Parts: sequence; structure tokens; C-alpha cells
Amino acid sequence: MINRRKIIKLGATGWLLSHASPLAYANTPSARQPKIVWIVLRGAMDSLHAVVPTSDPDLKKHRADLINPIIKNVLPLNKDFSLHPELKTLHQWYQQKQMAPVVAVASHRTRSHFEAQDKLESGLTGTDYNDGWLARAFQSYQMHYQTSQQTTQKAEALAIARSIPLSLRGKLPVSTVYPSTLPDAEADLYDRLAQLYQDEPLLSERLQAGLNTRDMLSEDAKKSKRANFPKLAKMCGELLNQQKNTRCAMLEMSGWDTHNAQVNRLNRQFKTLDSGLKQLKQGLGKTWDDTIVVLATEFGRTVAINGSGGTDHGTGSALFLAGGCLNGGQVFGQWPGLSKSQLYQGRDLQPTSDTRSWLATILQQHWQLTHKELATVFPNINIINKQLIS
Amino acid sequence: MSLNSKDIAFNRFGYGRVFNQPDQEPSDPSEWLISQLKPINLDSQLTGSYASAINLNNSKEIIYQLGKFRQLTRRQQQSSSKSKKQNKKISKDQSNMMAEGSPQDKIKQSRRMLTKNAYSLQAHTLNNAITSNNSFQARLLDFFSNHFSVSATNINMRALAPTLEREAIAPYLSGYFANMLIAVEQHPAMLIYLNNVQSIGPRSTIGKRRGKGLNENLSREILELHTLGVNGGYTQNDVRELAMAITGWSVNYEGINNKTQSQRDAASDSFHFRDAAHEPGVRKILGKKYKQRNALQGVRILQDLAVHPSTANYMSHKIARHFIADDPDPDLVNAMSNAWLKTNGHIKSVLTVMIKHPASWSVNAEKYKTPRDFLISCVRACGSTKMADKQLLQSLKIMGQAPFNAGSPAGYDDTAETWNGPEALISRIEWVNKLSQAVNKSAIDIGETVIGESLTKQSRKIIQRAESRQQAIALLLLSPEFLHR
Repeated sequence: MINRRKIIKLGATGWLLSHASPLAYANTPSARQPKIVWIVLRGAMDSLHAVVPTSDPDLKKHRADLINPIIKNVLPLNKDFSLHPELKTLHQWYQQKQMAPVVAVASHRTRSHFEAQDKLESGLTGTDYNDGWLARAFQSYQMHYQTSQQTTQKAEALAIARSIPLSLRGKLPVSTVYPSTLPDAEADLYDRLAQLYQDEPLLSERLQAGLNTRDMLSEDAKKSKRANFPKLAKMCGELLNQQKNTRCAMLEMSGWDTHNAQVNRLNRQFKTLDSGLKQLKQGLGKTWDDTIVVLATEFGRTVAINGSGGTDHGTGSALFLAGGCLNGGQVFGQWPGLSKSQLYQGRDLQPTSDTRSWLATILQQHWQLTHKELATVFPNINIINKQLIS
Repeated sequence: MSLNSKDIAFNRFGYGRVFNQPDQEPSDPSEWLISQLKPINLDSQLTGSYASAINLNNSKEIIYQLGKFRQLTRRQQQSSSKSKKQNKKISKDQSNMMAEGSPQDKIKQSRRMLTKNAYSLQAHTLNNAITSNNSFQARLLDFFSNHFSVSATNINMRALAPTLEREAIAPYLSGYFANMLIAVEQHPAMLIYLNNVQSIGPRSTIGKRRGKGLNENLSREILELHTLGVNGGYTQNDVRELAMAITGWSVNYEGINNKTQSQRDAASDSFHFRDAAHEPGVRKILGKKYKQRNALQGVRILQDLAVHPSTANYMSHKIARHFIADDPDPDLVNAMSNAWLKTNGHIKSVLTVMIKHPASWSVNAEKYKTPRDFLISCVRACGSTKMADKQLLQSLKIMGQAPFNAGSPAGYDDTAETWNGPEALISRIEWVNKLSQAVNKSAIDIGETVIGESLTKQSRKIIQRAESRQQAIALLLLSPEFLHR
């Protein structure tokens, strides 16, 4: 199976090279159909509860009541880190070298959820956000796509949401999809609405995009009544698998703001997240081999437990990278330590790398974005000197 | 789309005209709007079906019922863990207990009653907006309710959330912002939602005894979302100081739980200051010292925050963005902000400035209606109030704006970008398609009433050519003129 796939890859590469100037394709390693799934965990997931630094001597001093209930069942990654017991799928992928956490990351230093999400999604440092990093990256990728596919057809972007999240807001149209419980209106009404909107470019475009995505959904997905994360993840995977030219998708999951009762709440949250990731892979089918999944959250939480069995807003957090073509099975990022003097402002995990460096590296290695293009996505951000894509 | 000032007064400031209600036209649109700036007493409108559907219309009684609910579930957990330890003989008795009147049954009933009550309260506010002759006032209530957003995250919050706007917002709609702010931050729904009941001063009596500590959640959101705004000039240290100042701000469980009706009535308030959890000492916020020793410390800080220049600017911008345009005229925001500072945050004075400012009457309808806005104005336009409560709330859920479900203390976003996505438009179309089946009126009549002169020739032509009366209604409600205000 693997051999055959490799042969097909090589064959396709040869074909491309023979039909195009070598310069344009110098960066194209294969006939991969590279896709990116960007998942934002809203509310600030406590990274120390997800990727537990089991060998850090100070961990228990700060948060014994959070660690003790899970420590016996954590899933080991290496001698220093383990995953939360409910993150079984992520653990399995790690063992298959298809998952890698990045510890101690941040892209900003704000502790406001909303400002932090804006910064994470825009990828910028200012306060005025008109577009998202994924939208800008996708715009650059669009050109690579059209030349590599020898087509004038456009690559598509998809958000599993009712409205377009900031990450994907930009110059290119984006489809959104979300399960509905209402019956479809008759086709005739849509035709007349298209007439009604003929002088309203924005409404016309939204109508067309909405109808296009609806057409692609299976009857099953259309009727799915409750929109929980695993269902949305499955829908996302299936759509990416069906549509060859849809090259990036975004998912969101909320409920991470655990100011109280964190142990029980995160048991549930991680379980749902993990089952969603499993569904995503299932939905992707063979496309999984060409997909990189990135999970991020807006910031980390306080290293110490607070007065109500939870944690407050902090700084450094973790990223999860996964996918069939990830060079995984390792823990990335430099661990800063948890002793009081090593903490950021004496309370938070000290970030040791910028979230955007990892995103930029993925864009460079997976979508073949050039340095010049990367500078428009993330101004002044360095690339990580590591092979992230296999 | 060009609008006349009466249409603007109805559609942009309020929720639009009600069909078939001829005596609603004001002679002076501005004065008519200003006359609506007064408190709302939602309880006085608990009539008709709501009088029977809403058993509990205040937070004290809801807290009392939640206390009983908790007792029931606790007793049930204890008895089931006890019977597990004993042998199988008991299991027969247990299965008998599943019958009616059993503990499980009582728990179910209690939960159902609390949930039903909460939905009825949500629907009552919604219906007030649908039927009100002062829909500008109703919109103002919705604005502040979303500004101080609380989410129904569990049974406690579901039951309590709808009382926040009734008790801490509606009575303060035209007065000083500081009074609304204090009422909100001391309301049980907010104290529970943002975990302040669990926040304990590390050096307070309880803090020292149990080694428990602060929870910064409420403090941070007060500064970031309720007053100064995220770039309002506060630091992490201010967040901590305010958190300490409001330690001990809690819910009056003692005065409510296990008390008789008359004792509960006598308990003055659902707010309770727990001295033993309050962090002693002087607090310093934004450079100013606060030496008070009790709940007054936090109150004084809130009073200062309410009139801070950052608050004046942040709130004026947010109000103008809600009513007038996503990107409001800077001159309008400035004028409002100056009025805020001059009048110490007097809401009526600030809104009067907005009403009298020419930028508020721009002939371009720049606001894209949110789902709540759209639903209320659709039902008003069709002159139909026959939609059942359940349908109304379900509709909002489908369109993405279920009450008390923003899922974040920032509330629902207020700009077009959030609501005009492709999927959102399709759900709106499907919803209108269903609604239109129940409307037996002429679309053009409705259009002339509610949209007025701004209904374009083009839209009129397409509506008139519709293949059925229902389709014409759907096209009218989905026309660009009706989607914007």
C-alpha cells in the first residue's frame, strides 16, 4: 500500500516537472494535496493539565489538587511529559509519530480572552484586526495551488461555524457550514432571492456560498440535530475528503475557561476533544495522509491552583500538531521550568517560543510558502529550524 | 435605500413598526425617542399566560428553589451510595421508589419547573420587545443585558440568568450607569457566573483557616468588559487589587435557604457581604487608594470606574455601534463621551446626545440586523404574536443567538461580520420560509407600513411577482431593506 502510494507520488511529480518551469516547482516535493485544519480551543485550555510536565519537581507544589487525581493514569510521552488520561487518540497518534505537542508557547502577553483570541487569530500584534493569519496564508497558497494544479479553478476554505471566524476573514471567499434543524426552502425561493440581491454584492455572494456548501452535505449531516464538537469534526473531515480543492478548514471548541472545578470539567472537555479528533481523522479518510491539524488556545492558565479548584488567566500554553504527514512522536519546545523565579511575572508558564513561528514553519513546509509570503502572514516572525513535515 | 426620520426612529432605534397598529406615528421622532428613556418594570407586565407560567420572577425565590433542588439531589446521592453498600434486598425497595413521588421523580419535577420558569422569563422579555409601543426602550434593555452577559452554563445559571436584566438592569435604564453597574456586580447571577462567590481573600478569616484564595474572574471582566475596556489603561495588578476589594461579595444563602416565605420576604436582598471572606486592608486601583473596610470598598471603586474617561469612551462607542453603525462617526462618539463625563455617566443624558446628533439620522441603513433584532422585527412586521414561546426561543437558537447562551462574558457580537456569513443567511432564509407560512397578509401592505418609502422599486417588483402570498412575505422579510436598519 505504502509503496504504491509512493510510486504514484513520484509519477505525478515527474509529470509536473515536465510541464512547467523548474523554478516554479522547485519547492513542490510531491503531488501531495496539502490540507490544514486549524482548531481553536476558546476559553484558554490549561496546557499544564493537557501536557503534564511529570518530571518537573515544582509541579505538585503549585497544583497538587489538580495533579493528584490524574497522575496515576496519565499517558506517558517521554521521560518528562505525559498526556491527560482522556487524550487517548492524541496519545495513539504520538506513538504512530503523527502527533507532537509544542510546550511553552505564546503569541502575545495579554490575559483577556477576547483580545488574546483576536491576536492569536489575526497573528498580528496591533489592536486593529481586519483579517486572520489563515486567510492571508491561504491567499498566498492560492497561487501555489493554481500553478501546481495547472488550473484556474480556485482552492477553497471552509469554516465549520455559523459565521466566519477572524482567522479566516480576509479577501477570499470562505464557505461556512453548520447543522440546521429547519426544512430546506424551495429552490424557487433561492432563485428569486438571487434576483432580489442582484445589486447587493455581499448578500449575493453569501447566498451563493451558503447554497454551495449546503449542496455538498450528506442528508445525514443536514439532519444532525445537535452540533457537538465530535459531530462538527466529523463533518469537517468528510467535507475535506470529498472536496479535493478545499485546502483549509477551521473548527472551534469552547468551554475551556476553568476558573473552578477544573479536574472534573477538564475530564469531560478532553474526552469530547479527543473523540472529536478521532472523528475528524475518520471523516478525512485517506486525506489524513495529506493533512496537518493544528490545535491552539488563546493563552495558558496560572501555574498555581486558585481558590476554587481552578486556574485563572495566564500566559504560556501548548500547541498540538498532528496529521498523517507530520514528523511527530516528539515533544517540541523548550521547557522553562516551574520554580517561582522561572515563572512569567511570578505566576505563569514562561513562553519560550512564539506560536506563530510554528505556524509559519508549517506553512513553509506544507504549503511551500516563501519567506516573502510568510512575511505578509506573520511580519517579523522567525522560522523554526526543524523538519515538521515528513 | 434612503430613509425618512420616522422610519429611522422606528427601525434603527427601535424594533420597527407593528403591522396594523395605526396610532403609533409620533409627531416628533426625537422627542418620542427621548420620552422612552425611563425604567422598565417587567414584573408589572406579568399578565395573561405569563402570570401562570412564571412561578418565580425574582432571584430570591429562585435561589430558594435551587437550594431545595440541591437538597433533593444530595439526599438521593447519599441514599443511593448507602444502598449500594448494603445487600441486594434493598434493590427491590429501590425499584419501588422509582414510582411516582419517588425522590428521582421529585428531582426531575424540580429541575423541570426551574427550567420551564427560566424559559418563560426569557420569552417574557422577548415578548415585551415584540409588543412594546416603546421598542427603543426594549432595545436599550437588550443592549445592556448583552453588555452584562451571563450564560446558562448549568442548572443554577439557567434558572438565575434571566433575573439579572429584570432586577439589575431594567430599573436603571435611564439613571446613572454607576447604579446599574453596582446592581449588576452584586447580583447573584453575576456573582455565581463569574465565580466571585468562591473568591476568598488569602488573609481573610476563612482564607487563613482554609488556605483558600482569590478568583480573579469577575474582577477582570469588570475592568475589561463592563467598564474601562481592554485598552482602558489597567494592569494585572489592578485586576488583583479589585479582586481583593470584592472578596466577600456573595449570595445571601443564609437569609434565603431553609426559611419560610415571610422570612424570605423579610430578607432584604439576595446580595450578601461575607466579612469573613473579605481581604482586609487598603486597596490601590488606577493609582487611587481605597481604605473602606467592607462592601463599600468595592462600591466606591465601581463608582469611580463608572465615570472614568476610558469607560465613557468605551461605553459611548459601544452604544453608538449598537444603535447607529458598526463603525460609528467619531464625532458622535466624542459628543456622547463628553456628555458621559459631564453628567457622571447619566445614561439618559448620553442617549439624548445620541438621539440629537445628525450622524444618528444618516439616510443609509448601516446596521445589519442581529438574529434577535431580525426575529423581533419580523414578528412585529407581520403583526403576529401567535408564535409560542418555545418557537420563539427555538428560532433564536437556530439563528445562533439563544438568550443567555453567548458562552462568554463578552456577550454576543454586535457587528455585521459576525452575523452575515453564508450559513447564517441560509438559516435566516429557512426560518423566514417557515414563518411566512403562518402569515396571511399582503406583503406589499406590510412593506409599505414597516419599510415605508425606502422599499425600492426593484424589491417591490420582485415581491409582487412572487408565486404565492407566502413567498412574497418571505421575499419582503429577506429584502436588503428589511435585513438592514
